[in-house]
Amino acid sequence: MATSNSGKPDKGLRATVIGMVTFVVIVGIGFTLISNHSKSVLKLPATVSKADGYGIVFNPTAKPVIDIWEDFQCPVCQRFEAINSTYINQVVAAGTAKVVFHPMSFIGQESVLAANAAACANDQGKFLAYHTLLYQNQSPTENSGKFTSDFLTKLGGAGGISGSKFSGCISNLSYQNWTKNIEVDAASKNINSTPTIFVNGKEIDRKTQYMDPVAFQAVLTAGGVK
Amino acid sequence: MKKVQPWLTLLARLVLGGTLLAAGLLKIKNPSEAAASVRVYKMLPVVIANILGYGLPWVEIGIALLLIVGVALKKSALAGGILMAMFIIAISQAWARGLPINCGCFGNGGVTADGKVHALTYFTEIVRDIGLLVLAGFLYRFPHGKLGLDKFELEENDGNK
Repeated sequence: MATSNSGKPDKGLRATVIGMVTFVVIVGIGFTLISNHSKSVLKLPATVSKADGYGIVFNPTAKPVIDIWEDFQCPVCQRFEAINSTYINQVVAAGTAKVVFHPMSFIGQESVLAANAAACANDQGKFLAYHTLLYQNQSPTENSGKFTSDFLTKLGGAGGISGSKFSGCISNLSYQNWTKNIEVDAASKNINSTPTIFVNGKEIDRKTQYMDPVAFQAVLTAGGVK
Repeated sequence: MKKVQPWLTLLARLVLGGTLLAAGLLKIKNPSEAAASVRVYKMLPVVIANILGYGLPWVEIGIALLLIVGVALKKSALAGGILMAMFIIAISQAWARGLPINCGCFGNGGVTADGKVHALTYFTEIVRDIGLLVLAGFLYRFPHGKLGLDKFELEENDGNK
């Protein structure tokens, strides 16, 4: 120990290591910043509007506005779906509110696959049916390998969606850039967890209004849903 | 102490570096989640929180590598200590303001699923980070240890283990 201060350090090796680490950090940060930027060249799914944060829009002219940020791999979203989707689907069908779905993919690659597939189903006019199927078939563990192109295509079959356009849209990940833009938009709007529900641009109360169907319907009614 | 200290330095480097490395690696896979983890602390404007969220995991990995290899140890210990102090401040203010959030220290950040504040979690996270801060301080004070590149020639015999 006493000798260590007088030891001659290997300057070249030291400098090389410091240089390599600095390089990794800078490249890593640069790559992450660039890849988490909005994509300007992208194919948009049907009924998606940039003004609505790239969400999938139902009843675009109706008032009030309900925004739903969700991730098809998120277990809490699955619970929320089980509790409230019947009511939400009724609202969509009755046209008593503009409903905007923002399928996020922050849990990982299988969320990207699922969100992309949901957009493909939306192109076939079957978003809500496919939405339910995705949650019914959610894997208990995230990124378990369950949501593959093959599985997601077959899942469409259970909801009456088929055809080469649908399967090609899934296997080509046609809307991958769109899923990225949803993420970037949500980040800029300070959406920090899923599900997140906005009524007329304001989040409802996470403690009491998400998982109680009566409270959820009440807050939507208070927001102007008839 | 004189005999033990170089080994303690090595141990401190591996614990602090290993923790930072794990924290960084678990977060780089999910940059948008990492950014959300920073936003929920509500300390920074959203734009800046996002940039920090994207960049911080790489900084953690960089400091971790330097600590583990044992290069520029005083500076990397100082950087690690500053990170820990930042985390302690961030978690403490979140607890004081009653923000219902997960740490996000090792991924999985964001708002707690039940929307509630979990005091015990905040407490253990702060204790852990204080422990790591102490290690960083120790490394800053005693940077010369076993198997460190900073004095590579001296310890060449140990270096191939």
